[in-house]
Amino acid sequence: MAPPSRPSLPNSPSEISLEDSKGFSYLRRLLLQPEQTELERLKGRLEDFTLQPHDVSRVLPDAIRLRAQQDSRLLTSMIPITQEALSLSIKQSPQLISDSIAPILGPAIRKAIARAMRGMVQSLNQTLEYSMSWKGLQWRWEAFRTGKSFAEVVLLHTLRFRVEQVFLIHKKTGLLLNHVVAEGISGQGEEVISGMLTAIQDFVRDSFGQKQDDGLESLRIGDLTVWIEQGSGAILAGVIRGAPPIELREVFQETLETIHAQFSELLQVFKGDVGAFEETRLPLEDCLQAQFEKKSKGFPLAFWILLGLLILGLGIWVFQARSDQKQWAQLLERIGQEPGLVVTSIQEEGPPTIFYGLRDPLATDPEQILSEFGYSSKQAVFHLKPFMDLTPEFVEKRAYAVLQPPSSADFRWQATHLSVGGHAPHAWITQANLLGPLLPGVMSFETNGMFGTEDLERFDTLRARLERLSVNFLVGGSALTKGEKTIISKVSEILESFDKQALLLGLNPQVQVLGFTDPRGSRDANLELSTARAKNVVQALPTNSFRALKVEAIGKGVTRSAEIEGLPIGGRRAVFRVVRPQGNLLESHK
Amino acid sequence: MSSKAVIQKKICMLGGFAVGKTSLVKRFVSGQFSEKYHTTIGVKIDQKTQCVDDTEMLLVLWDVYGEDDFQKVRASYLHGSAGYLLVVDGTRKETLDIARQLHTLAVQSMGAVPYVLVINKHDLRESWQVDPKMYEDLASNACLVLQSSAKTGEGVESAFNELAKQLLKA
Ligand SMILES: Nc1nc2c(ncn2[C@@H]2O[C@H](COP(=O)(O)OP(=O)(O)OP(=O)(O)O)[C@@H](O)[C@H]2O)c(=O)[nH]1
Ligand SMILES: [Mg+2]
Repeated sequence: MAPPSRPSLPNSPSEISLEDSKGFSYLRRLLLQPEQTELERLKGRLEDFTLQPHDVSRVLPDAIRLRAQQDSRLLTSMIPITQEALSLSIKQSPQLISDSIAPILGPAIRKAIARAMRGMVQSLNQTLEYSMSWKGLQWRWEAFRTGKSFAEVVLLHTLRFRVEQVFLIHKKTGLLLNHVVAEGISGQGEEVISGMLTAIQDFVRDSFGQKQDDGLESLRIGDLTVWIEQGSGAILAGVIRGAPPIELREVFQETLETIHAQFSELLQVFKGDVGAFEETRLPLEDCLQAQFEKKSKGFPLAFWILLGLLILGLGIWVFQARSDQKQWAQLLERIGQEPGLVVTSIQEEGPPTIFYGLRDPLATDPEQILSEFGYSSKQAVFHLKPFMDLTPEFVEKRAYAVLQPPSSADFRWQATHLSVGGHAPHAWITQANLLGPLLPGVMSFETNGMFGTEDLERFDTLRARLERLSVNFLVGGSALTKGEKTIISKVSEILESFDKQALLLGLNPQVQVLGFTDPRGSRDANLELSTARAKNVVQALPTNSFRALKVEAIGKGVTRSAEIEGLPIGGRRAVFRVVRPQGNLLESHK
Repeated sequence: MSSKAVIQKKICMLGGFAVGKTSLVKRFVSGQFSEKYHTTIGVKIDQKTQCVDDTEMLLVLWDVYGEDDFQKVRASYLHGSAGYLLVVDGTRKETLDIARQLHTLAVQSMGAVPYVLVINKHDLRESWQVDPKMYEDLASNACLVLQSSAKTGEGVESAFNELAKQLLKA
């Protein structure tokens, strides 16, 4: 400061008398009074210089700041005092301290616990969620094959991304400041990795001529991504498995910023003492994030299988119930339609269901119908009274049941009128004639068109006997020899019986007498001879007495086997053939 | 962190090509040696914990490729290095010149940090081309000068150990 310049006096002495010293000092006092007192005060202060608290209080904050910038002596000297003060304060009023740190401590503890829990719960959830699903089974198999733990396999498959390792690297030296790994990951040679990461950074930067602050931001190796965040003093590198979301970058950036804010000085003076960076562990661990696939909000496979089975079971049950119902309805319909069966009421309280009603004894047994439909007396019981059904069907049935006709008898119905044809033994015909008219529902009964089986038999026997006989002649002769007359009488006897039998049966058989010659002689002569032979035989027969038979003589000439079946070849003879009715009556009247 | 050492130091291996930088590191870290020559591309980093006066140190060794006519060593690899090993091949005197250039580069990029001058391949001393007079200049500032052999192991341990000691002091 320049010395204060003396105040200049006015330059006109004529106005003030110098002799008047009294007056001068008055004048001086008058003019310099304020400065004078100020000078007096300053003089006093300088002479007795001690620091006034008031003055110190004004400069203290600035002074501390200036000193701290200069060196750390102030800081060091304050440490013991602060420590002591703190410990004293804690002793005297612990409540105050605990109140003031509680807001910080609480969240910090919570955060630490939450972090520990998160990992645990997550892996537990994943394992549980997938343990019952189809995927789960596949993974179990994979775990078995690869020898990994199931939890590990689940983790790998459901992982969207997971930060496995985080490196905090000193930018200038490439030395590793701190390193954290996710649970279950084992870091190896972190220091070397850290160095290499820096070297790669340098290499890339140098090669592509980028500025110092630029650098590699990410690397990819297979499923791994390395994200690198650049700070002024440190680099943060996260090794991530899977596909990290962009927000993760922000987390990395924030973490790195936090670390810089706290450690910027240490980063600058770093000489290899990494112990000082142990405190970065917590913020770094915050970077160890992971995200897993949300399992689709569905039910596990087991649930679907169970549901499927349930529906299937229900379906089968409904189907069965319905087909049961259908079956039952069909049974009811059948019983309703069954001839000879009349259900008057059904009691369904059962089981068994009870059917009340009437049944013709000839109707189908209802038990049989039940078993046809797969039911037993457990499900249905019949309480039926016998009755007689007069519908044509049952009248016929009953007629058969009562008369029991032989198969040769032939029932012919015209409405309720029954006539029987064919043939049957005499005894049956007699009985049928008695019972038939008595049959309920049968208005008239007759067996007039019937042959007795015995009569037919006799007719056939006689015919056969006749046809086996033959009358022989001498060479060239047509007269009946003596010997042959016995044959003729036999033939006559048969023919008489045959006539009677034919009459009985109401038939008019035609009998042919066929004459034959041997091959010798002319054709005409032979024909004539054979005719004469047949005629002679017919003449010898009692043809006039026949009432049903007709006898005819026919000359056939030389015997030809093809012409008359069954005839001995050659020969001079006459034979008998019944040509109408043809064949065996018994057979043809069946 | 897995390493127990809380003091870490970055050390660079500097020298011309095929002088034996990689071999020296290999000998020091794993005690092995191979006659085969695989030139180093870029940088290869190794580490070894070293005990110096009861203090455990982690030496992070940057084995930089050797400089030749085609490839100059990048200064960026040297940044932050606490010290370095300057390696010369005793059987090739031209590697001294390269060592000199690299030394200058090192001083420029990391300041005057401790270094050890290593004349390597001492097992082949019959075909030696260098003598101490030729490298007086380099030796004057070095904290240690020694002859080594990655093949026999001669001088390897002491070279690294001496450097570590200097780094701890600094
Ligand atoms: N005899 C002998 N051979 C050595 C010695 N050190 C290295 N070699 C051989 O020298 C060759 C080069 O060794 P490297 O260690 O690969 O040399 P480098 O300095 O790493 O080479 P660049 O990586 O190309 O710069 C190899 O064939 C080594 O076997 C040694 O002390 N004695
Ligand atoms: Mg090499």
